[in-house]
Amino acid sequence: MISADDLRKEYGDFVAVEGSSFTVDDGDVFGIVGPNGAGKTTTLKMLAGLLDPTSGTAQVAGYDTAETEMRNDLGFLPEESPLYEEMTALSYLSFFADLYDVPGAVAEERIHETLDKLDLEHRERQIGDMSKGMKRKVAITRSLVNDPDVLIYDEPASGLDPLTTNYIIEFTEQLAKEGKTIVFSAHNLFHVESICDRVAIMADGEIIARGDLAELQDAHGETTYHVYTTVEVSDSVRENGQYRRIVESMDAVDETRTLAEEAGGDVIDIRTEESSLEEVFLNVAESRSHSEG
Amino acid sequence: MRPRKLLRIARWEVTKNAGGVDRQTVVIALVALALFTLVVPFVMSGETGLDEGLYRVSVDEDSQFSAVVESESAFAVRDGDVKAVESGDVELYIEPGLITFANTTKGVAAYEQLQSSVDRYNNRELRQEVNQTAAFPVSVVLDYREQGGLGESLRIADSEDEESESSAETGDDSDGGETERSGESGATDGTDGDSSGESDGSPTLDSDGSGSNGGGIGGFGASFNEESVSGSPSDIDPPFPFQSLVLAFLVVIPLNFLIQAYGSTILSERTNRRGELLLVSPVSRFDIIGGKTLPYFLGGMVLESVIVAGLFLAIHGRPGGFISILAVTPLVLLFLSATFLGAMFARSFKELTFVTVTITVTLTSYAFVPAIFTDVGAVALISPLTLLVRELQTETIAISEFVFSTTPPLLCSGVFFGLGAGLYREEDMFDQRSLRGRVLDALVGPIPATGGTGWITGRLDSILPVNITPLRRYIAVGGLTVGLIPFVFVVQLLAIALLFALGEISIILILIVVAVVEELAKSLHIYAGYTHGLFASGRRTALFLGVASGVGFFIAEKVALLAQLVGLPELAVADAGLQGGIIPGPAGLTALLFLFAPLLLHVVTAAISAVGARRGKREYTLAVGLAMLVHLGYNLTVVSTLV
Repeated sequence: MISADDLRKEYGDFVAVEGSSFTVDDGDVFGIVGPNGAGKTTTLKMLAGLLDPTSGTAQVAGYDTAETEMRNDLGFLPEESPLYEEMTALSYLSFFADLYDVPGAVAEERIHETLDKLDLEHRERQIGDMSKGMKRKVAITRSLVNDPDVLIYDEPASGLDPLTTNYIIEFTEQLAKEGKTIVFSAHNLFHVESICDRVAIMADGEIIARGDLAELQDAHGETTYHVYTTVEVSDSVRENGQYRRIVESMDAVDETRTLAEEAGGDVIDIRTEESSLEEVFLNVAESRSHSEG
Repeated sequence: MRPRKLLRIARWEVTKNAGGVDRQTVVIALVALALFTLVVPFVMSGETGLDEGLYRVSVDEDSQFSAVVESESAFAVRDGDVKAVESGDVELYIEPGLITFANTTKGVAAYEQLQSSVDRYNNRELRQEVNQTAAFPVSVVLDYREQGGLGESLRIADSEDEESESSAETGDDSDGGETERSGESGATDGTDGDSSGESDGSPTLDSDGSGSNGGGIGGFGASFNEESVSGSPSDIDPPFPFQSLVLAFLVVIPLNFLIQAYGSTILSERTNRRGELLLVSPVSRFDIIGGKTLPYFLGGMVLESVIVAGLFLAIHGRPGGFISILAVTPLVLLFLSATFLGAMFARSFKELTFVTVTITVTLTSYAFVPAIFTDVGAVALISPLTLLVRELQTETIAISEFVFSTTPPLLCSGVFFGLGAGLYREEDMFDQRSLRGRVLDALVGPIPATGGTGWITGRLDSILPVNITPLRRYIAVGGLTVGLIPFVFVVQLLAIALLFALGEISIILILIVVAVVEELAKSLHIYAGYTHGLFASGRRTALFLGVASGVGFFIAEKVALLAQLVGLPELAVADAGLQGGIIPGPAGLTALLFLFAPLLLHVVTAAISAVGARRGKREYTLAVGLAMLVHLGYNLTVVSTLV
């Protein structure tokens, strides 16, 4: 559904994106994470056909991104919500639906349905009079007026309060369940982790790691084992009448078991804990800085 | 481009601000409307009205000046006698056989006003005489001729010279010595003399004798009325179509309001990235630009059509002005395109204000200044507004004249829209680069990037039997130079219009303008290409780029031969400015020099600039300066041969 092959974008001497390649299958949710200036937005804009790659190619929904027809199957949500604030929400959305050749009745039904799901009232109000969260909901609705198969969302919940953020993330999850192919970027890695099937980590314009979460954790994360014993062993902490020792390998688990038995006790429970995406990201970034240093 | 989507965007452009028009805009519109409705009757009347009731006059009912004073709006009749003059209550006291005026500046002015009022009154009376031959016994045919070149004044037709001069002399003689003024509270007795002087000395002008240019016969009112042709020699005005010009100016005024609104809507797409979502919707940038421009173009045309039609209806009492409306169309496009490009360059509304003011001043000058010379010479045809003035004066307009006046602004507007459209994309619309950077971005747009086929070569490849892709950048550079020719042409025409009246020095000034503008047009996009890393830095590449640009310019420059169709090159400065030098001599030599001398010039100077451009900004500046000097030297040589 989406493929990027060795995408590169230069602005004069500055290389914003270099050698970016990935594919996203139908119905997958692909997250792009990275620090500010990593090249996430530039990558998304090249996918949306807004920026021409300096080199490399990208295809979305079977079209080259340079083809105008591609945009009929695409819903793009930029990081900001640059709306025409003098228009009402409904007239704004109807205008865009018309540009996408959506029949009037269909557009009206679709717009109201999406706004209902997003719980947006005051639809006849001028956009300029709306709150930031309301504007974001209008922008999301605009990205769906053409019922696209592919959605490219750049920081969909950026700058919103926690309640609205949660609402929008849940809505995005819902869209994923409906079968939309979604590529989105976010600073909040918890959101990416919660809804993405696959993730690419970008830094300095390059994709430095990619894969599904398990692959990333295997490659760049750490698995920790929480071993609960009935007796105190070295480095353990008393917790609810038990003792917990955190170790990072199965050998250390075995060692803990031995120590507990030697102390006349036993192991009650062993729990495994994987690295979060945030920890994976930090590990990748740290190892990159070491390799560059 | 998809018409349906373009029209949808146009409809949106019109309706998105519905109900949101601020008070300031409404006030400006009302002021403009009021100005229009006030100016037209004022100009149509041919009277200023500013001096109405300016002078207080006490006149005895038995005085023959009583009717004169009554008919003159500058006079306010007051009761009183000669003491009223002394007390300052009136400026003039008129009684049979005696006129007393106050010994003040205003009193003297009132007396002079009375003299001219008597002249006009007498002329009006004479025109009502049944026997016009008796009233105006001398008939003079004036034939105004176009100015043939610099320094040549208007000439009266040879066959009529003596007659004209003699009549003028007669009039002068009879006018002179009619009045005497005493000093303080002086008196004059010359009433009879005035009227007899007019009747004796006034020539009778023939309406048919207005010449092929037809303008300027006997005062303002006569501009549109060929019957008002009798009068005194003092009624003979130089051929200056004041009334037509002022009315034509009304055509330009609305455009200045139009571009304010248009510039705002274009820039607002660029502020806060508002236009980003249109760019990502399934419409091309040309749909967006076309859709946003169409309402302003149509609105402008409707407004102009109403004004032109109204002028014709008011002046000629019948609908008309079709040619004028066609002639104004390129002007509307030129204003809009220049504003569009300016709005793409501006980074804020503050900068946009500067841009629109610059456009207003420059384009109003371009439209208005040449039109001042409507009845003087072909230089007036530089402006399409001249066609409007001439149609208002019921003169015929040749197709070649129409083409000459309208083609440069039309093509120039195409260049401006093209350059602006090159910037109408995500990576150029929303950044905050400097004006210089944006100009270079605009110029580099049509030059293909590494690996790209290029817009021009891509199309040529599909037409031509050979693959020209390896030459794509040279072709693009040459093509871009060709594309810039209308802009060069318009700048040169404007320079000619502004400078030609300065005499001999104007030739030098215009040649400098020519050298500067042409060398910039040939090299600026090459420099832009280098700054964007599109060309290899070798000297050979630079030379080839110079050759491509020089050849492109040479080919396109010959479009300037269009000027010859209407005789503009009769002006020496126009000849030098537009032809690139045609050296007189044997036919073969002329042809050789006509073709190869300018070609060599353009190639050499473009190559000089290109070689400098490859090294950087400072070197480019020096190189293009050198190229300008070479160009100027060449032009001076050619002109010294011609003139």
